[in-house]
Amino acid sequence: MGVTEVFTTFGDVYLRSVLSTWLMTAVCFAGGLALGILVTVLRVSPVKPLRVAGDVYVQLFRNIPTVSLLVIFVYALPYLGATLSYRTCLLACVILVVSSFASENFMSGINAIGVGQIEAARSIGLTFVQIVRLIVIPQSLRTTVLPMTNLLIATLLTTAMGSQVPLTPPELTGMVNYVNSRSVAGISAFIVSAICYAGTSVVLGWLGNKLDEKVRIVR
Amino acid sequence: MAIETATPVIELRHVDKHYGPLHVLRDINLSVAKGEVLVVIGPSGSGKSTMCRTINRLETIDSGEILIEGTPLPQEGKELAALRAKVGMVFQSFNLFAHKTILQNVTMGPIEVLHTPREQAEAEAMELLRRVGVDSQAAKVPAQLSGGQQQRVAIARSLAMHPTAMLFDEPTSALDPEMINEVLAVMVELAQEGMTMVVVTHEMNFARRVANRVVFMADGQIVEQNSPDEFFDHPQSQRAKDFLESIKGH
Repeated sequence: MGVTEVFTTFGDVYLRSVLSTWLMTAVCFAGGLALGILVTVLRVSPVKPLRVAGDVYVQLFRNIPTVSLLVIFVYALPYLGATLSYRTCLLACVILVVSSFASENFMSGINAIGVGQIEAARSIGLTFVQIVRLIVIPQSLRTTVLPMTNLLIATLLTTAMGSQVPLTPPELTGMVNYVNSRSVAGISAFIVSAICYAGTSVVLGWLGNKLDEKVRIVR
Repeated sequence: MAIETATPVIELRHVDKHYGPLHVLRDINLSVAKGEVLVVIGPSGSGKSTMCRTINRLETIDSGEILIEGTPLPQEGKELAALRAKVGMVFQSFNLFAHKTILQNVTMGPIEVLHTPREQAEAEAMELLRRVGVDSQAAKVPAQLSGGQQQRVAIARSLAMHPTAMLFDEPTSALDPEMINEVLAVMVELAQEGMTMVVVTHEMNFARRVANRVVFMADGQIVEQNSPDEFFDHPQSQRAKDFLESIKGH
């Protein structure tokens, strides 16, 4: 079975699996960013236990392979009385991993702000929360567009972990198993999925560059 | 000029501070009256910047007391923020918010802290920017302005909070020589309008012209304080004499 045949035979399922991959990527990246911002705020807060908690969080989820995390979520959590759907397990694992990397990106963005601006903000009477909201988050978001684009592409590729659990519809990597268990496509099924991943990544990378040009802070 | 004898705007009582083994502020006692322009000079490492920064608690102190209009400086939180809003601060390195326009730099404090309506805040900001001569730059971002312009914006940003006093921490030290005067001119005008000012500077001409009192610091102590004419023409201490000798010709 050639690449074109895979397309013509499984076209509609492929379409659904591409959409599923895109949707999971969007959900995981948005969730990861939001959680990453939260963790980063903890890491720069004036309260030491919160800073420590934030650091521990990042070390934990940045340093565990996503597949191990997924195994824990799928097989260990039920023993603790929490049986989540496969999709929920997958989304939760990817979000946790993405948020820890996002937080590291944010920290580098914050380090680029410089203590002077923070002191200036304090000296006009802004509170910690206002400084975070008005100065720290906007500036670190705008200086980390390129690393965040990398993270978005990594998120896209990490959703391939979904091939390890049963999902309907399957995402792009699970789709390879789906195709190969119904016909003899061999490497062709991998190639089609790879083209979808690569195509998406190229577009995301281009968009990231454009966005960076637009919002980058001149210093 | 007449200096009121009422509660000092800024008062430091027995202030001490260490950086590890380094005793950077030694028993500092100082009070600044309303409308007074105090110029702090001294060799580098004398603690003059540190002292300036303790006044709005950008630096903490180990012991002693700092009062703003008779109220002790709060430790943390909202009360401290509210008090800081009343004391303007201008830094050596301008420290404008890099992601905001010049206008937004000036309106942020009034809108977020004083809850001034946006339109009113913008009108006031434009007026302040006109006063310091950078109103034509309002839509630009800080990196597009010269150092002198940025520092004048920083002064406008402080003034927008209607401060009761202003601190200047070596405001012209990072500027190219041709830009120093444009910043000093704004400061002279402020002083003439009766703003209470504490100015850490190396600009001796400014000190002589504008200061009501010169405070000379060395090794974390206030060694000598006097009217500018008395201080520059008849320094009392050997440290002050040496310092003035060393900067002669500047």
